Amino acid sequence: MTAKLTTLRQRLETCLGERVARLSLAQDELSLEIAAADYESVMRDLLLRPELDFAQLIDLCGVDYSTYKEGGKGRRFAVIVHLLSLAHNWRLRVRVFAENDDFPLLPSLTPLWTSANWYEREAFDLLGIVFEGHEDLRRILTDYGFVGHPLRKDFPLSGHVEMRYDEKEGRVVYQPVSIAPREVAPRIRREPGYGGAHD
Amino acid sequence: MSIEGILEQGFVTTSADALINYVRTGSIWPVTFGLACCAVEMIHAGCARYDLDRFGILFRPSPRQSDVMIVAGTLTNKMASALRKIYDQMAEPRWVISMGSCANGGGYYHDSYAVVRGCDRIVPVDIYVPGCPPTAEALIYGILQLQNKIRRTSTIAR
Repeated sequence: MTAKLTTLRQRLETCLGERVARLSLAQDELSLEIAAADYESVMRDLLLRPELDFAQLIDLCGVDYSTYKEGGKGRRFAVIVHLLSLAHNWRLRVRVFAENDDFPLLPSLTPLWTSANWYEREAFDLLGIVFEGHEDLRRILTDYGFVGHPLRKDFPLSGHVEMRYDEKEGRVVYQPVSIAPREVAPRIRREPGYGGAHD
Repeated sequence: MSIEGILEQGFVTTSADALINYVRTGSIWPVTFGLACCAVEMIHAGCARYDLDRFGILFRPSPRQSDVMIVAGTLTNKMASALRKIYDQMAEPRWVISMGSCANGGGYYHDSYAVVRGCDRIVPVDIYVPGCPPTAEALIYGILQLQNKIRRTSTIAR
């Protein structure tokens, strides 16, 4: 770990204290994991404390861990935020898991960084993570009136509806999807024990 | 019908249909409608090397001035109603060229939840140009096929 990252780690530990759930190093950057309850206060400190001073929010994205939950019993949805400090020239990843798998809810970061606005709309659109306090939480990518959240692992690839032009109504209409679902996982065809492999 | 003797007087006789088709095939104005990477190949066809202008093809910024719509690229559900609206705004007679695999039948995105599986589900298509993306030559070949198709239509003599 470089001297700069050691300094960042020390400052994070002193500034955030108990609120650091986990701090790890990956790809030469620090990853900070926090609890959903501390999300708002931690992010406020990361932005406003001069010794951290993360002035820029680079990216915010949602993740659906689905069956890949930690230990098989962790939370399903997480939000990952990438921050950059222009003053100190260091970066940080922050990961926070939403408490409720059925209704993932987290406070919005738009009061702190305005750049979070469209990222949060994207995470809401594609994964259904709701950001409390976001002023304009509309869908951003999918069609108007789209139902479902396509990046969720349980969303079928072909979706539920498809589009065609209706001659009688004089407009494009949705109808139930007509094609069979496609297998996307690679199929492995080999006899058991091939090459001494354990199946 | 011979033109000998008539030509001296500055006349050429032909049928109205032949004249109309000559004019139509010589001024196919496409509406500028690019959806994805195919649009870049369409632009290549329009630029200096292939030069669609020599076929009398000038891209128009308005569907109301256009004769043909080149659906160049992936047609998504969100874009489909806009595409149909633009097609509806075009004046008759009008034609549609479906360019590339995505417009022909969904192509690479055939199984996607967000893509129309072929633009012929939205608008009637006259010419399909295969390829992913088709080269500029392939598009020009498609346009020549459309010219042949237009030549076969008869407006007056049925």
